[in-house]
Amino acid sequence: MSAHSHVDGQLPHEPEKATLEGRNKVLAFWLFLGGETVLFGTLFSVYLALRGQVLEGNPSANELFDLPLVAAATFILLTSSLTSVFAIQAMHRNNVKSMINWLIVTVALGLGFLVLEVYEFIHYLHMGHGFTTSAFSSSFYTLVGFHGAHVILGVVWISLLIGQVYKKGLNTVTAPKIYVAGLYWHFVDVVWVFIFTVVYLMGKVG
Amino acid sequence: MAGNHSNTAAEGKGKRHRVEGPQKHIVAYIFSILLTVLAFATVAAGEINSTFTYILLVVMAALQVFVQMSFWMHMKDRGHLLPIIGIFFGVFVVFTCVVMAEFWVWW
Repeated sequence: MSAHSHVDGQLPHEPEKATLEGRNKVLAFWLFLGGETVLFGTLFSVYLALRGQVLEGNPSANELFDLPLVAAATFILLTSSLTSVFAIQAMHRNNVKSMINWLIVTVALGLGFLVLEVYEFIHYLHMGHGFTTSAFSSSFYTLVGFHGAHVILGVVWISLLIGQVYKKGLNTVTAPKIYVAGLYWHFVDVVWVFIFTVVYLMGKVG
Repeated sequence: MAGNHSNTAAEGKGKRHRVEGPQKHIVAYIFSILLTVLAFATVAAGEINSTFTYILLVVMAALQVFVQMSFWMHMKDRGHLLPIIGIFFGVFVVFTCVVMAEFWVWW
């Protein structure tokens, strides 16, 4: 079937695109990301439609959101996107050790982001902002929670990939998986850019 | 290290292989951070009128997403026509949904 290693035991320059299987995997993943865009788009539109629907006495977006906390989460996720780029670059240099290290940093930053998000949600719950409090709170938790679930999936996925590369090494089968996980991680970061803009910053403005 | 790369480059079916450095990714990162800080600062200052702030925030988010998709997701590289079409189709559907939610639901 597909060549698992290069003729002289050296990987090609871009191992993720060396086989047809790898190229197809990358293309199919882009189609998946198109579908994910639609998924988040519908959640964003529901949030935009319902964000003003707060009952009397319940906290509004402006009272709820804590900008320094969101800024910290944004900084963490942005940095993790950079470290995952470094992991892909290490893969292109055929430096497995450096790649694994950068992936571990990426996973650690993802976990840091999740800790902040869980703390944030608990904080909101104490302020009387539960999932069923208002249409605003339901759409908020669905949108931001869906993004958080994507971060959890990314953390688990990349952790498993680290284990697989550690066991089986970097070859034309494992390389596309790493590359595609990197794409996924950037996509999750891109979605967060819209969340902090549309949900948090615009919630503070009006 | 360097000798290693020139070997791979030579056997790469006549294609030129250039191992890219981290510089442009660090520039993209700094640019993203600057846009983020600017967005947060605009809201934290809170003096500007809100329509203008809205537009400014959306423009900065779009810029940041453009930087990340073109550099970090390699969309500016060769052979990314289908991904670009796929993502733009997704964006088109999203835009339709958002317009529907903002202007249709409550009118």
